[in-house]
Amino acid sequence: MTKRLGVLVLKPLSLVLVLLTGLCSSPASLASEARETVETLHTALLEAMKGGASLGFEGRRKLLSPVLDAVFDFRTIARLVTGRHWAGMNEAQQTEFIGVFSQLSAATYAENFDEFGGEKFETRASEPKKNAEVVRTVILSPDGDEVSLNYLLARHGEDWRIVNVIAEGVSDISLKRTEYAAVIGQDGVDGLIAKLRAKVASYGSKNS
Amino acid sequence: MAALLAAGLSTSCATAPGGSADANDPAEGMNRKFYTFNDTLDRNIFEPVARGYVKVTPDPVRSGVSKFFNNANYLNVIANDLLQGKPGQFAEDTGRFLVNSTVGVGGLFDPATKLGMPEHDEDLGQTLGTYGVGEGAYLVVPMMGPNSLRDLPGTATSFLLNPINYLSFPITFPLGALAAINTRANLLEASSIRDQAALDPYTFVREAYRQQREFKIYDGNPPDDDFDEYIESEADAAILKIY
Repeated sequence: MTKRLGVLVLKPLSLVLVLLTGLCSSPASLASEARETVETLHTALLEAMKGGASLGFEGRRKLLSPVLDAVFDFRTIARLVTGRHWAGMNEAQQTEFIGVFSQLSAATYAENFDEFGGEKFETRASEPKKNAEVVRTVILSPDGDEVSLNYLLARHGEDWRIVNVIAEGVSDISLKRTEYAAVIGQDGVDGLIAKLRAKVASYGSKNS
Repeated sequence: MAALLAAGLSTSCATAPGGSADANDPAEGMNRKFYTFNDTLDRNIFEPVARGYVKVTPDPVRSGVSKFFNNANYLNVIANDLLQGKPGQFAEDTGRFLVNSTVGVGGLFDPATKLGMPEHDEDLGQTLGTYGVGEGAYLVVPMMGPNSLRDLPGTATSFLLNPINYLSFPITFPLGALAAINTRANLLEASSIRDQAALDPYTFVREAYRQQREFKIYDGNPPDDDFDEYIESEADAAILKIY
């Protein structure tokens, strides 16, 4: 998805402003926690990328899966991606959906973060919102390309957990939500769960 | 163009049977047919050709080719800088076009970025977006792919503002073919993600397209919404607009 999507110019002035507001905002401890959650994810992704082929798909999946379960709020995500259908799902379906969704996330990350070419993750800003926090980051390639990766985090007890990832302006939840609604419309909730299971299996089978 | 836009605005309010209102896709039935048509053509011809091209062409050459076509399209960017009232960016992009067309050997190289004139991405669809024109119905155009009524006029202006199209046919035709192959080659990564991740590729492409257009209209900084409702309740409208 990293088609060169226009150059993101972070104007020096706005960078200064971002830095200043970052320094001056009072709930700095909360802001740094949200940032830490995202950086925990990025550290694990880098480890998977550097482990690459020697870890293999399964090795990367095993490495990432517990980290994802710790940094994402999969229950909230599940509720948001299923939208109005969530309330109509029984408890067993909800639990099953959360489970398969978290497996799918692990498989997707393991599949795509599979090699290291000198990329760097850089946190640019962390902005408090009402009941939420946005952490703005970029992936920098050695050739100078920048991919914007923003995270939306929500309070989860003591922690901040990721509830959405916005890559180059494409919101993961919006994308999946529309897509899942289309599948539920055709095949129902159980059909959606079956499709997600097949997806998870397809990632594993293509790789050792 | 005005009539086309008017049509777009009115159709975006009406929901045809089968189309879903929040997806802005009243012509979904027809769009899906064209999507299948394009996809079949792509899998049988364009994608294999693009893969072959990537295989036989060294990376630096491919990079030069991409730069050349980006530069050839740059008058369109410059024109839209002006239409969007961005005088600073207009000056920078004009400088960029002149430098890359001359020192950069007709755009094959990009010395302008190193000189502090980075590439921008503007087009008429984005300009109309900044004017407050709604996106209009989502459209899948045969042979071209995702589009919308707001973006459609821009495909015409970018064609008209591209100097390549004013060369004689024996030059324009092979260059046009190369442009198409190059564009497809640059999308290989995106299409493989689509193939991997999408449950319903049609919907996946539509949503990704719509969101990226929005992102570009705001030059990568879409306005933040109040997250309150979205986190606390299940308000559908707020979820759709999480950024």
